[in-house]
Amino acid sequence: MKIVIFPWARSMRTESKPHPKNYPWWPELITKLQELGHEVIQAGVKDEVQLVDDFRQNLNITELRELLTSSDTWISVDTFGQHLAWDLGIKGIVIFSQSDPNIFGHPENINMLKSRAYLREKQFWLWEQAEFIEDAFVSPDEVIAKLNANF
Amino acid sequence: MKKLLCSISTKGRYETTLPLAIQAVINQTRKVDKLVIFDDNDPPKDMRQVQLYQYLFDIMNLKGIEWEWVYAKRLGQHHNHQMANQRGYEWVWRVDDDCMPDITVLETLLSYADHDVGGVGGSILTPPFSPLSGVTGLIEDIDREQNMQWDYINEVREIDHLHCSFIYRAGICDYNLSLSKAAFREETLFTYSLRQRGYKMLVVPNAITWHLKNKEGGVRTEAKEMFDHDDYIFKNFLGLKDNTIVVLDCGMGDHIVFKSILAELKNPVIYSCYPDIVPGGSIQDAINLFGNIDQYNIYKKMDQWNWKGSLQNAFRKLYIGDKI
Repeated sequence: MKIVIFPWARSMRTESKPHPKNYPWWPELITKLQELGHEVIQAGVKDEVQLVDDFRQNLNITELRELLTSSDTWISVDTFGQHLAWDLGIKGIVIFSQSDPNIFGHPENINMLKSRAYLREKQFWLWEQAEFIEDAFVSPDEVIAKLNANF
Repeated sequence: MKKLLCSISTKGRYETTLPLAIQAVINQTRKVDKLVIFDDNDPPKDMRQVQLYQYLFDIMNLKGIEWEWVYAKRLGQHHNHQMANQRGYEWVWRVDDDCMPDITVLETLLSYADHDVGGVGGSILTPPFSPLSGVTGLIEDIDREQNMQWDYINEVREIDHLHCSFIYRAGICDYNLSLSKAAFREETLFTYSLRQRGYKMLVVPNAITWHLKNKEGGVRTEAKEMFDHDDYIFKNFLGLKDNTIVVLDCGMGDHIVFKSILAELKNPVIYSCYPDIVPGGSIQDAINLFGNIDQYNIYKKMDQWNWKGSLQNAFRKLYIGDKI
């Protein structure tokens, strides 16, 4: 399958610490996806960490829509990409950590939250006010299992 | 939810009408659940040291009326009303510090507080009294008529906006905090915003509040420039009174989610960060027209509402309302 990934949340005003939304195991997940024969395309902006050879940078909305509609599915952290794909009616996987999928997710997608125990108490405060928690994310194997079961 | 908070914002009336206003609140046949006095005096005084106020505080304690004296930031009474508005009560009764409601006013006003009502006011009579005629209470007539509440009210009437002292459904709309310290038209903007959400604004009979007009205190000493500034903002809102003003000062993803409810809005006029997603004027345009735009910040609103639902429904609540 052709899979678009939106791996990184928009950078915070202070970049001294990792963004609490950013999935820490993208390299492992991408390796597994590629081993299964999937084509992985990264969408993002310039200066973000590149994870795959095919990195589409700074696409405008029209180009992003074209990329998504020409793909089979997508995997994203809780960021713009999940909303855009939802708007297009293209189902995908969202990897949540501390933001609540009941608020920020869409039921049409597969929203993967490890545990509600990791949700931050102040859901609407700036992300600069939250700490990164590596353990708050599901594992790459769990993502692969969801992908295999649904697509 | 706690039922009713009474708020009095005061400035320059320690020794004149404020104690009369407090006394009138204390003597209501329907006891308030809490009274908060927002003190905008500069410098403020500790009124516990004043015998007359000691009596009032003692009576409230004996009657079981919870009370609080807040030294406010002197930003204008609209900031104080907004604090009251956000305290988690279902209703707020705002009483001006130069007003003295009759003892049954609160009981009467609350008797009209049905599920589709956003505000209820009675007569605000200033002695010596002279009657009015032909008053509509409509927002478009505000510059060419006196306020309906400045006369005896003989029957329940639905109007567009309330004045001076009234009860209102709290936590639905915000006071416009971009107004100057004069806070000219603050209650008009606030109550009309509830009206725009579809709530009824009522004036009702047998609820008389006496307005003890005096030269000292209040906002009458503020500069003309402040009144002009506030009138400019008011007129900008009034010019869009038949529209739904939308200000999307938020992220790209939020714009996409908002777009999904756009068709549900009545005559939207939009200001947007990402016009390629949701076309509209700029955020700076919105600030120039309306001043402070915090009332449209979806994240601040969700935090204020302790929101648990979807972002999509939060936008519905902000721009359509969720009352009926």
